[in-house]
Amino acid sequence: MKYLILLGLLILFFTSPAQINCEAFKYYGDSLKYQACLKTEETEGHYQFSREYQEILDEALAIDSTYDKAYYAKSIAYLKSGDFVTWKKLIDKAVELDPESYLGYRGWCRYQFFRDYEGAIQDIEQLDDLVEYDIGVSKNGTYHLNIAKGLCYKAIGEKDKALDIIEAQIRLNEAENFIGPYDYIHLGVLFLEKSRYQDALEVFEKQSKTNETAENEYYSALAFKALQKNTEYLAAVESAKTLYYAGKKMNDPYSNPLDKIFIAAIEEEHKEALERNANQ
Amino acid sequence: MNKRIAVAIAILCIISGCRPEAKVEHEDPKYLRWVGDIEPNPKIDNPDFKTCYSEEEIFQYFNVGEGPQYSGEKTALLNEFNSKYKGITDNNQNGLIRIRFVVNCKGEAGRFRILQSDFGYNEAEFDQKITSQLLEITKGISKWTILYYDDVPSDYYIYLIFKIKNGHLTEILP
Repeated sequence: MKYLILLGLLILFFTSPAQINCEAFKYYGDSLKYQACLKTEETEGHYQFSREYQEILDEALAIDSTYDKAYYAKSIAYLKSGDFVTWKKLIDKAVELDPESYLGYRGWCRYQFFRDYEGAIQDIEQLDDLVEYDIGVSKNGTYHLNIAKGLCYKAIGEKDKALDIIEAQIRLNEAENFIGPYDYIHLGVLFLEKSRYQDALEVFEKQSKTNETAENEYYSALAFKALQKNTEYLAAVESAKTLYYAGKKMNDPYSNPLDKIFIAAIEEEHKEALERNANQ
Repeated sequence: MNKRIAVAIAILCIISGCRPEAKVEHEDPKYLRWVGDIEPNPKIDNPDFKTCYSEEEIFQYFNVGEGPQYSGEKTALLNEFNSKYKGITDNNQNGLIRIRFVVNCKGEAGRFRILQSDFGYNEAEFDQKITSQLLEITKGISKWTILYYDDVPSDYYIYLIFKIKNGHLTEILP
């Protein structure tokens, strides 16, 4: 009989995602977590910012104050509304209860929403020390967490370290055929900043093939400018402008990604590119 | 007769809303409609600022999925603060300051509220010379992007987060 129940649970596990987790708690005899899990599922259909959503999660925590998923779920609205104080208190509880599940997420959020570079590095490296498997990607799937870590190192002035980390991760990403939408842009910008213009252009070329954006053409333009290739400089700037107005640019619904460019910068380069070409 | 009495009681219950698990409306609920909602405060808010629609219809800036939008793009926002904010050199002034506010369907802003923390995310209080400057500059921006939700110009919440290091403004988010 016990084996039939186990088989039933296994079938549920592979066929019905949300309820399965709760049943697992029940199977393992954690009735409080099971109840808290079921309560948390009542948030379905409620907007995560809403009073109802928050109240249901409070009820879940009243059942089991160690139910990490409830803290995580509560924290999201505070994160997105920019309430760093309340967010951190809640997500810290989730990390304390289940560091493997939430360290990477907290690190990513520290970077994405608050540009807390040191904090993000700390979380991502702590996760890396904790687990033997790949630490995975950001919550929005845009970056491998090592790319995010590399960007943080760049932001605190450690460009060589950033370059090493991002190059290494991109090599791994390429092997898995899983390149992030902006990976090559970030690597190319680092090459640009280290005056490695040919290397920059090589990766911008790769970016063109995977996900062409205004930023890619803009930074290519800067590389051409540095190499005194004025015709290519102008062409790249004009391409950047076209792409920009067509909406092909780096985008995130909550923040402005690092290395994102705005039209004012493109216009400035366009003006200079025209002057350089007129003077040739 | 008993059956008639029972039916009558049942009908009375239905009419009076007598339900065993009726929701109790708390007079002072812990949460507002949404996390981050800002109730108008006539003591501190500009009386001329009005939302175009009801409180229930104020969205979040990210609900339209286009990222943070500023009039003149972020370049203009950065120029505004970089040209007007005067840093005070003070090694004790470090952390984050959030100014959250409402932008209405005409691109006007109001209901500014401040949240402050140190870099450990603990609530803190900055020198007023810093917060008052940031608030005045934010309030002084006369035109914010109008966001369209389902093609309708809408009211929305947005915030700015200022990173302060030793009294100087180092970054503005988002």
